[in-house]
Amino acid sequence: MTGFLKLLARNRLALAGAIVMALVILLALVTPILPLADPDVTDTANRFRLPFSEGALLGTDHLGRDMLSRLLWGTRLSLAVGFAAAIVAATIGAAIGIISGYYGGRVDNVIMRGVDMLMAFPYILLALAIVAALGPGLLNALIAVAAVNVPFFARNIRGITVGLAHKEFVDAARLAGLTNARIILTEILPNVIPVIVIAMSTTIGWMILETAGLSFLGLGSQPPQADLGSMLGEARSALITNPHTSVVPGVMILIIVMSINLLGDGVRDALDPRLKSGALSRPMAATRVDRRAPVPEAIGAGLLEVQNLQTEFHVRGRNYRAVGGVSLHVKPGECLGIIGESGSGKSVTALSVMGLVASPPGVIAGGAVRYDGKDLIGAPYRRLREMRGRNVAYIFQDPLATLHPLYRVGDQLIEAIRAHRPIGKQEDRTKAIELLKAVRIPNPEKRVSDYPHEMSGGMRQRVGIAMALANDPDIIIADEPTTALDVTVQAQILSLLDDLRRSRGLAIVFITHDFGVVAQLCDRVAVMYAGRIVEEGPTRGMLETPLHPYTARLMACVPELGGGKRRLEAIPGLPPVVDRLPEGCAFADRCTKAREDCRVGEIHLEREGARAVRCIHPETPLREAAE
Amino acid sequence: MSLVSFSRRGVLAAGTTLALMLGAASLAQAQTPPGVLIVGQIAEPKSLDPAAVTAVNDFRILMNVYDGLVRYKDGTLEVEPALATDWTISEDGTEYTFTLRDGVSFHDGSAFDAEAVKFNFDRMLDESHPFHDTGPFPLAFFFSAVENVEVVDPLTVKFTLNAPYAPFLSNLAYPTGLIVSPAAVEAGGADFGRNPSGTGPFKFGEWRSNEAVVIEANPDYWDGAPELQAVVFRPITDANTRTAEMLAGGIDLMVEVPPVALSEFQGEQYSVFEQAGPHVWFLILNAKEGPFADKLVRQAANYAINKEALVNNVLEGTAEVAAGPTPPAFAWAYNPDLEPYPYDPEKAKELLAEAGAEGASLTFYVTEGGSGMLDPIAMGTAMQADLEAVGFDVTIETYEWNTFLGEVNPGLEGKADMAEMAWMTNDPDTLPFLALRTDAWPDKGGFNSGYYSNPKVDELLEAARVATDQEERAKLYKEMQVIVQEDAPWVFVANWKQNAVTSDRVENFSLQPSFFLLLDDVVKN
Amino acid sequence: MGSYIVKRLLSAIPVLLGITVIVFLIMAMIPGDPATAILGSYATPDNVEKLNRDLGLDKPLVQQYFIWLGNMLTGDFGTSFALNRPVIDEVLERFNGTLVLAGTAFVLCSIFGVIAGVVSAANQYGSGDKIITFAVLLGISIPSFFLGMMMILFFAVNLRWFPVSGMWPIYGARDLSALISHLTLPAIALAVVATGVIARLSRSAMLEVLRQDFIRTARAKGVHERGVIWRHALKAAMVSIIPVLGIQAGFVLSGAVYIEIVFQWPGVGRMLVDAILKRDILLVQGGVVFVAACYVLFNIAVDVAQSLLDPRIKT
Repeated sequence: MTGFLKLLARNRLALAGAIVMALVILLALVTPILPLADPDVTDTANRFRLPFSEGALLGTDHLGRDMLSRLLWGTRLSLAVGFAAAIVAATIGAAIGIISGYYGGRVDNVIMRGVDMLMAFPYILLALAIVAALGPGLLNALIAVAAVNVPFFARNIRGITVGLAHKEFVDAARLAGLTNARIILTEILPNVIPVIVIAMSTTIGWMILETAGLSFLGLGSQPPQADLGSMLGEARSALITNPHTSVVPGVMILIIVMSINLLGDGVRDALDPRLKSGALSRPMAATRVDRRAPVPEAIGAGLLEVQNLQTEFHVRGRNYRAVGGVSLHVKPGECLGIIGESGSGKSVTALSVMGLVASPPGVIAGGAVRYDGKDLIGAPYRRLREMRGRNVAYIFQDPLATLHPLYRVGDQLIEAIRAHRPIGKQEDRTKAIELLKAVRIPNPEKRVSDYPHEMSGGMRQRVGIAMALANDPDIIIADEPTTALDVTVQAQILSLLDDLRRSRGLAIVFITHDFGVVAQLCDRVAVMYAGRIVEEGPTRGMLETPLHPYTARLMACVPELGGGKRRLEAIPGLPPVVDRLPEGCAFADRCTKAREDCRVGEIHLEREGARAVRCIHPETPLREAAE
Repeated sequence: MSLVSFSRRGVLAAGTTLALMLGAASLAQAQTPPGVLIVGQIAEPKSLDPAAVTAVNDFRILMNVYDGLVRYKDGTLEVEPALATDWTISEDGTEYTFTLRDGVSFHDGSAFDAEAVKFNFDRMLDESHPFHDTGPFPLAFFFSAVENVEVVDPLTVKFTLNAPYAPFLSNLAYPTGLIVSPAAVEAGGADFGRNPSGTGPFKFGEWRSNEAVVIEANPDYWDGAPELQAVVFRPITDANTRTAEMLAGGIDLMVEVPPVALSEFQGEQYSVFEQAGPHVWFLILNAKEGPFADKLVRQAANYAINKEALVNNVLEGTAEVAAGPTPPAFAWAYNPDLEPYPYDPEKAKELLAEAGAEGASLTFYVTEGGSGMLDPIAMGTAMQADLEAVGFDVTIETYEWNTFLGEVNPGLEGKADMAEMAWMTNDPDTLPFLALRTDAWPDKGGFNSGYYSNPKVDELLEAARVATDQEERAKLYKEMQVIVQEDAPWVFVANWKQNAVTSDRVENFSLQPSFFLLLDDVVKN
Repeated sequence: MGSYIVKRLLSAIPVLLGITVIVFLIMAMIPGDPATAILGSYATPDNVEKLNRDLGLDKPLVQQYFIWLGNMLTGDFGTSFALNRPVIDEVLERFNGTLVLAGTAFVLCSIFGVIAGVVSAANQYGSGDKIITFAVLLGISIPSFFLGMMMILFFAVNLRWFPVSGMWPIYGARDLSALISHLTLPAIALAVVATGVIARLSRSAMLEVLRQDFIRTARAKGVHERGVIWRHALKAAMVSIIPVLGIQAGFVLSGAVYIEIVFQWPGVGRMLVDAILKRDILLVQGGVVFVAACYVLFNIAVDVAQSLLDPRIKT
């Protein structure tokens, strides 16, 4: 709860809304004890007094009644009506929606048809007809406003219930022999309530406006009772001559509805679990750069050179150092593998190269990424954009999510080209087919006009590769491109990448958690753990003599290609959280070989020849392995 | 860069360009052409068939397109010749013989004669008439006394009544008695209401639904061609919008100006007109049961309500305090000696104490609006406050007009103690005869919803209805008014002064006590 | 696609039948009858009964319903008591007016709402976003009739930029420029609320989409940010915006009632309110059925548009 309040308070607009709302409610609550004039006493000789006149702070209305008093009493009533209507509509609507969604089938069909009918009926006319049938009065207006809103709640809640009704926990409850009523009350309802609350919080304002609308049409509270809507309605005839009588309640409605809406937005965001992870933010076009340390000098080690790269995620006051000073390089035609568990920072390293780390919350806090000797960190967006796809291209994991679902694959390929150079209408299709052919997609003439969902996973990944090849880049960064695929398809994709590398002289940075894949493709490997490189060296050497205990354990996790059945050994424990790295070796807590000195001071990456390791008690001494 | 500020600016800019672009057009439009009078009406007419309509709003158009056999003399409610040049009434008051004006023809070219008159009344009254199905004719009962219409010769027509009926002539001057062209009814059938033809100073031009009814000058009008070339009636239901149109110059003449808007029209460029009419705004009191069964309590209510404040403040002087059941506009029948109940809360409290009705709780039916109801909610609320000040406990129930009538007309018994009501009539007979007699209780088909009953009043009203001599009738009505005021079956509140505003381009305009709008002498520069 | 449309149209039939029942029952439940409404002060029980008989309202309800339904199937919607003209003529003529007003407002709110939402999402937490959010909230918190009156007061009476009311000039050419000058104020007043709602929902739909992986893909390809936002993200967001547009169309249609009253616009909403108040039963019934049918058709069109946009929807 306090967390919820904190979240709410973080949103300044919502906070403002909450404060105003609280003030309004407070005023409404204390109205009876305030020294106000009687709101219903008329004094027609003193009608239409202007605001700030003596004895009437907000002036008087068309019958000489005190506006301030009527405003406060009216606010009290309008708030009560708005809340009541929202609660009534939400309760009935939710009940209908849950029943419809839970039982499904014919019940659902009949109820939803009914809801459709009500929704097709212009809602003002429905409300008007209800009030005409029931007779006027605020209570009847409340019923009408609630009634016309029931279908909206019903429809909303039904949609969510349908989703829930097929979840495992509901099935389990059914198998356990619980009655439907019990399941609805104990399993469904608790999951739906946040949605109801959100929907309600956004509806209250609307309810107050609608009641005001009915009063405008002359169907509202009974005189002399004041509610904001009828005040506005009664003042309407004097709008031109005495605008203050309508402006006062009008502004009050505005204030209430606005603060409710601001607060409602805040509540919605605060209840949304994704906000906590910062996932409600939209990523900017390029990762934010905030380098606090001096930029390291270039050393000219390769085509792409990453030096002491530090990428952080700033989430709610915490600082997750996803990449904590990584240095890497890759030469033309070379294939570098980066390997590690999920959360080791390997993908973030790769994405940092072209500023593709989602930001917020990502920030590049230090280091340099040099392409052909020029630093890309902090480069203007225009330059980054020009290089993306043309010099450095990416292949991502899970092509169903990474391809745009609503564009044909051919168009997505062509777009990749068109982003960097103009291409003719005729030429582009030919080029797209050519690209599909290059990644060995059968029948490319037909496939070019497929949508991604019409293709298999392997096909989609080939499209992803074709897209990366579209502009003949020098470097391809492949972020776990085969993870989602089955083994045969995986092998095909790997051999395709390998062929392309050799035929086009591509440099590949290949990110994976699978040593089997590395063995097949990569010249060199860097092993990452908790945002840092813990071992680096030629693939063959590392496979033969892993130095870091982590590398050894990682290799043990993988069935060796052609190695027959072997027991898969999971690494016990979890990687440390990167906002609170322990002193010394980050792996120490999970390492069977950890000793006292592993947990002290900074452990450096020791380099010997082609091999490097960040361990003071390696599996094999570094010098031995390097020879 | 924010899109909204951009779009706001964009909209403003677009609006400005648009305005500049259309500037010429809009300005020209604001300046209405001379010779064409544009009237802001309160609603779309139902029909232009005078026998089929009931609303004053529709009458305002009809009176300019049709003539009746007789009409009200300018500025009065007394009848004078129109299509009939002369008439005689038989001794027993049951036969009316009219001499018709020679040489008059309808706008469609057909001639006006005795056959046409007979056609008109038979269509309304005779269910076997071939064109009776062009109805329904809701106000046909105005002529329910007519037994037979006879063509004596082409220019003489004789009405035979089943009993003497004094208001007959006055009813003939009412829009229900306007004469339509039989040829046009035969040609148009049920569509006649949209293709009307009469003998009036203006002939029908066009009817653009929800936009305008246009009538054009009839150069051959028997009473002299009108000055205007045409009149356009625009239905503008919302009073604010009507006021805004008047201020913006979109209309030249506006009727039923909301009281609070009158102050907008004080300047040189407008003229405000007022005319008291045959209208009474009153509260029906339930004399059958509850506190108002006691005459003292009814009188107390009359003393308690500050009518001066109501008419001067709530209605901004658009009405005068009513003294009794008959409005002063019926000059010949009104009793000028009658003084309204003064505002005297102390007296009211005394009466209440005398009747032992202190703190009586009352249910008060209020309507939201309706024909002749002046700002009924504000009025009801103010009266509620006055009544509470002398010790009543008043609960208001408001109803939309039709529901209200559905509740009030069948009688207040068992439901309410008081109800707002207003009547506009054309004869001093109508309202008291329909709403104050014992035989007019709701169960007998009348409008005496408060169950007032005084045999003397009944007797006076019956006698006045059959007397054919106006002076005789006047005496009876004046006596009735004294008794009714003393008995206080109603709270007599106000007599409405109809108002209108014209722009300074309009001349020779005046309002009629009949509430009709007569435009044949109006000039627009 | 053809069979999908046919299927959707067929499924609309029971909905429309249900609407005829609902509207008929409601009109039967409302106290007061057309005869009382027509007769006004003169509505004695006798007069009312006679007039009701003349109007054919003395038959049993069920019989009245089936007579009405049967007539409607043959295209005869009956005659309005209050206007004395065929219901269908009045409804069609009025609907034309509503279509112009609500259609324009709908186009305005769709365009401006979506643009505001997109710009707001693209600059999330930036000052642009905050200003838009605030303006949008302001827009959805003002009663539209109040806004309309203020606009009349300011732009029509004080500045005289636009005419106060009506759809066409009383005199002068009925051309496009005349229509636009009459249409501007009411269309804007009507569009404001829906613009706000659409902007809010577009913003959250865009934020949802902008976090998707395919947006990163587009950026990794080197697509310009403009293209990323307006082509990639917006197209995907439209999948969830289009149903909102469908619902908002209903709100615009309903909201038109107030605007039509304030601006004296000859539309079907004002007609129906008047008709309910005057107990003009056949006009209410015919008008509601017609409007509801159009709304149902419009929703089918929205679904079809949705399926054209999103190839993943099975048709």
